[in-house]
Amino acid sequence: MTALLELRNLKTHFKRDKIDIPAVDGVDLTINKGETVALVGESGSGKSITSLSIMRLIPSPPGKIVDGAILFNGNDLVNLTEDDMCKIRGNDISMIFQEPMTSLNPVLTVGEQIIEVLMYHQKLSRAASINKAVEMLEMVGFSRAKALINEYPHRLSGGMRQRVMIAIAMSCNPKLLIADEPTTALDVTIQAQILDLMKELSVKYDTSILIITHDLGVVSEVADKVVVMYCGQVVEEALVDDLFDEPLHPYTIGLMGSIPSLEGETDRLQSIEGTVPPPEHFPIGCRFAPRCPHAFDRCRAEAPKLVEVAGRRKVRCFLHSDKEATV
Amino acid sequence: MISYIIRRTLMAIPLLFGITILSFAIVQAAPGGPTSMMMDPTMKPSDREKFEEKYGLNDPVHIQYIKWLGNMVKGDFGDSLIKRGTPVSELIMNRLPNTLILMIASTILAAVIAIPFGIYSAMRPYTKADNAITITSFLGVATPNFWFGLLLIMFLSVKLGWFPTGGVATLNADFSIWDRLHHLILPAIVLATADMAALTRYTRSSMLEVLHQDYIRTAKSKGFKEKRVVLKHGLRNGLIPIITIFGLMLPSFIGGAAITEKVFAWPGIGQLFIDSAFQRDYPVIMALTVVSAVFVVIGNLLADILYAIFDPRIEY
Repeated sequence: MTALLELRNLKTHFKRDKIDIPAVDGVDLTINKGETVALVGESGSGKSITSLSIMRLIPSPPGKIVDGAILFNGNDLVNLTEDDMCKIRGNDISMIFQEPMTSLNPVLTVGEQIIEVLMYHQKLSRAASINKAVEMLEMVGFSRAKALINEYPHRLSGGMRQRVMIAIAMSCNPKLLIADEPTTALDVTIQAQILDLMKELSVKYDTSILIITHDLGVVSEVADKVVVMYCGQVVEEALVDDLFDEPLHPYTIGLMGSIPSLEGETDRLQSIEGTVPPPEHFPIGCRFAPRCPHAFDRCRAEAPKLVEVAGRRKVRCFLHSDKEATV
Repeated sequence: MISYIIRRTLMAIPLLFGITILSFAIVQAAPGGPTSMMMDPTMKPSDREKFEEKYGLNDPVHIQYIKWLGNMVKGDFGDSLIKRGTPVSELIMNRLPNTLILMIASTILAAVIAIPFGIYSAMRPYTKADNAITITSFLGVATPNFWFGLLLIMFLSVKLGWFPTGGVATLNADFSIWDRLHHLILPAIVLATADMAALTRYTRSSMLEVLHQDYIRTAKSKGFKEKRVVLKHGLRNGLIPIITIFGLMLPSFIGGAAITEKVFAWPGIGQLFIDSAFQRDYPVIMALTVVSAVFVVIGNLLADILYAIFDPRIEY
């Protein structure tokens, strides 16, 4: 499998009151062609900033990519000019967002919002764009697509708007679709439909997906590979089956413990003690150490590195890196 | 939409009716009257009574009002008490075009300058350019019309001789567009200044809010360049609140025009308003009140219609 997108030691910092805040602090991530990767973590773990960094849509100032590389098909996006980046956004890499209710422009028709992308990137004529837009809307499951072209977004429900967003995102046949919590704002039955649709389209068009979520249910449904983030760093990376069979990092174990299960008897859901520290108060050693039930002295003094375990997964924890080292 | 416009216009009728009652009462309550203002002090009381009798000034106020209303509905605003024999409608129609020209010119000037500056400010907030625009706008809001007008006359007209000091056209000259424009420039600038400044601020804050909306991020994620994101996706949303302000500003131009017209000796209705108020020329005051009330109603109606055109979420 060839890598479509490769993040190498990506660091995105924000300046607040002259203090540098490392929102994304050295993230490595690889997405192969046709693969669906889930980026998982609590609020504030840096997963959304990672995705916006790939799109180069970090609000600047105060945000800035300070180090690292974002290799897309071998080209480093960090060094591209804004003009060149504009040719990639919406064309090769497109994005859908968490809030379908506010992500569409309220004063433009649904059709216009798809057509404009096609005319801009694909240089299609207006008539051809309209045909293609109808086709896209049909593909995302609208039966009366022709009439929908002239509708305004406020007449659509949240699920329908997210379908429109997907139609816009997929209209130029992108190589990578970034979905930032695409189902968080939707109710459960609609969530499943949207996920199925994304899965179906990714297979049909051989599009890779980077899905950002904190919902492990979503992860198990769509992802091939899972990357768990905590405090701006990757703490664990594994294939989805491996991760659900045996999570290695105490943080991942904690996340798993907090999902309700239909099987067996559970008294209470477990929760991870404490909260994510704000970036200016990151601990010196392992960033999870203050909340970790297994933390020992070394964890508090020294930061663990992301190491490969069992040849196909990575984890950032002394419990496992030591084991590997001694074997 | 058309039924909405008709409904709104019909609703304006009782409103205008109320405005006439109030202004009639207020004007009558003001001390003095046309006779005490304009008559020869040595005039015999019997002559004065004869005059008051003739123009119905002795009738009880409500009778005067009903008479006036009856004529007004027929389109007859009566004759001026001061410039005897001149119908009020003629006085107004002679001057209204001048005021309208001044109003339209300054509105366009204000919009054409304020909106781009406001947008630019919002695109680069808290930069040097934004701060400069902000400070200039505050200066503009804070500068009194008459003072700014006098200043321009002093430097540009008197010292440099670039512009005429007042009037709509050169006296005794043949009509020429250039001459009219030449006379229009200074008063239009002065009248536009305060509103231009306010409009810049409104545009800035409205656009600043819009540019942080999720759909702007969507537009950026589609790969559009900043100009297109701001102008196509931002501006239409950002202008919606500005329309309301425009609707409210339109009639205020008449009030603001009074002072500017006075400074530039511009024969418009603002100046007529001031003069007739001082002279207690009741028919003229009342007619002008009705005219400006109509402007207020039209301004609001226009704002509502434009609102519906720009914002598809509004339904009637």
